[in-house]
Amino acid sequence: MLPFTYAVRNLFRDPSRLLQTVGGSALVVLLLTAAVAFNEGMDRVLSASGSPKNVMLVGKGSEESIERSEVPLAAESAAKTSIPGLASQLNTPAVSGEIIFQAPITPPSGESKQGQMRGVLPVALLVHPEVVLLEGHFPGPGEVMVGKLAPRKLGLAEEALALGEMLVIGEQEFRISGRFAAPGTVLESEFWLDRNDLATLMQRDSLSAVYVRLSDGEPEDVEVFAFQRNDLELSSIREDIYYDKLSRFYGPIKGMTWLTAALVAAGALFGGINTLYAAFASRIREMATLQAIGYTRGALLVSLIQESLLATLTGTLLAMVAALLLLEGRTIAFSMGAFELSLSPAVVLTGLVTGALLGTVGTLPPAIRTLAPALPKALRSN
Amino acid sequence: MTPFIDINQLSKTYQKGKTSVTPLEKLSLSVPKGEFLALMGPSGSGKTTLLNLVAGIDTPTTGQLIIDGQDIAGLSRAALAKWRSRHVGYIFQLYHLVPILSAFENVELPLLLSKMSRRERKAKVESALELVGLAERSGHRPSELSGGQEQRVAIARAIVHNPGLLVADEPTGDLDRESADNILRLLRELSREHEKTIVMVTHDPKAAAAADRCLHLEKGQLVDEPEPATFVA
Ligand SMILES: Nc1ncnc2c1ncn2[C@@H]1O[C@H](COP(=O)(O)OP(=O)(O)OP(=O)(O)O)[C@@H](O)[C@H]1O
Ligand SMILES: [Mg+2]
Repeated sequence: MLPFTYAVRNLFRDPSRLLQTVGGSALVVLLLTAAVAFNEGMDRVLSASGSPKNVMLVGKGSEESIERSEVPLAAESAAKTSIPGLASQLNTPAVSGEIIFQAPITPPSGESKQGQMRGVLPVALLVHPEVVLLEGHFPGPGEVMVGKLAPRKLGLAEEALALGEMLVIGEQEFRISGRFAAPGTVLESEFWLDRNDLATLMQRDSLSAVYVRLSDGEPEDVEVFAFQRNDLELSSIREDIYYDKLSRFYGPIKGMTWLTAALVAAGALFGGINTLYAAFASRIREMATLQAIGYTRGALLVSLIQESLLATLTGTLLAMVAALLLLEGRTIAFSMGAFELSLSPAVVLTGLVTGALLGTVGTLPPAIRTLAPALPKALRSN
Repeated sequence: MTPFIDINQLSKTYQKGKTSVTPLEKLSLSVPKGEFLALMGPSGSGKTTLLNLVAGIDTPTTGQLIIDGQDIAGLSRAALAKWRSRHVGYIFQLYHLVPILSAFENVELPLLLSKMSRRERKAKVESALELVGLAERSGHRPSELSGGQEQRVAIARAIVHNPGLLVADEPTGDLDRESADNILRLLRELSREHEKTIVMVTHDPKAAAAADRCLHLEKGQLVDEPEPATFVA
């Protein structure tokens, strides 16, 4: 075996190549890491948003899009009395009729952006137990409660919307009455208003959905209810399944993320392999000399791979530091809400594996081409 | 006594598509142990080809090739590599030192192929460098050495693992007279005092004169006397 120092010194033979290899692999690793973190974050928020204990009653035919759904007000009280096994608190059953709507919101300073609105009554807290008030109080008439990540959707910092400030929603002003968290769910980027306010604002007398939280009841009970009350034209869907379907709806976006990352990565990879071709080609005679001395091709291949791995793993390390600085904790807004990027073990592992593959699989083609020529010919080369 | 190098009806044919070149044809040759043999001949006569076969760098197409009692004609690539690491030292016209390694580290390369303590390696490298007269340059990189010094480091590298056979392809071809004479003296000393069998290819009659015997190769075969045309150039 060639000593490890030989690989190390070869690395510094050509500083510009070293820079290229380290930089290139850092770029590839950072991109793939970002893509995985992005997709993972989106998956995480969508899967955390749905609870298997919650069943949503939506208008028939609107199972895919809650915003188009119309549910008569009567469905709420009917659900309360007819569905067995409901969760409840102080004799209040956990049934919450809600209006969900996207509308432009204008912050005190700045331009209006599309925001996710939810018109609720206090009972909503029973079906969405992940919602915790951070400060202030639940919105009454003329008030709005702001999710922790909601300011992001308006392009503002998390703390930008302070209590007491006014938001303009559909030509009407609302006072910020509170801030809430709903860790890891899409609710956290919503604006919650009083249900009657939102109904007036939108001039509608129907709900978007009735959320039902079960304790010892079964989702089938809700299904039976929807079936029996076919006059209400309801359809029931478990909340986790609803978000699961939504997640599939975002499949193409995730695919695009992958594709973009893969294309740029492939470009960098081919650039890198090309640099290696040139670098190794200039060492054909040296490789042949080492073989003449008695080193096997395998030993030389190991040394070349060591050399590349050193460069690509350095790049990987840099990429991880960059990811920690640039990606970790960054909030990404998408149409459904917002999520935080996080360098989870899976994300870090992806980065490490990518770096290792670049150094091994990426090195094989140029290395093989360098070691392939017959010895007598290689010894004559210049 | 059996010869150190025993070559019988050795042929080498290179196939390139439909055309084939046969730089060596049914060549027979024997070299006793410790002999310093010079090979001369016009360009393209097959000198390097023969040297490469003897050094186990290349494999013959047909014929017998026995070195120090071992038939190396049929060895696999890996077995040949191992054989080379024990039995051959190769000296090139252009030295072929590894530029990023010091003289010491270059000479050490063959020793890293066998189990040996660091101390043992150091002693061997130092004595090899001593023998070629470069003990005090062991920390220098090839770029910091003259051509003659580089070739002496290359010789130290070729002998450090104590092989029985040295092959040299125009080892003085790139050197001035004085450096060349130094190298030739060194090779003579290795054959006389250390019983190395040496096969050296050269174009230089003065270099050939330093050897014990000189053979002429022409069109892949040994000839008794060089044709007069050889000397015209
Ligand atoms: N790998 C190869 N493929 C095809 N032909 C080859 C190969 N190696 C050598 N030859 C041919 O074999 C012949 C002998 O080549 P060789 O290198 O042995 O000559 P040489 O006597 O060493 O010449 P020189 O004095 O110029 O070094 C030449 O015609 C050469 O073109
Ligand atoms: Mg030659």
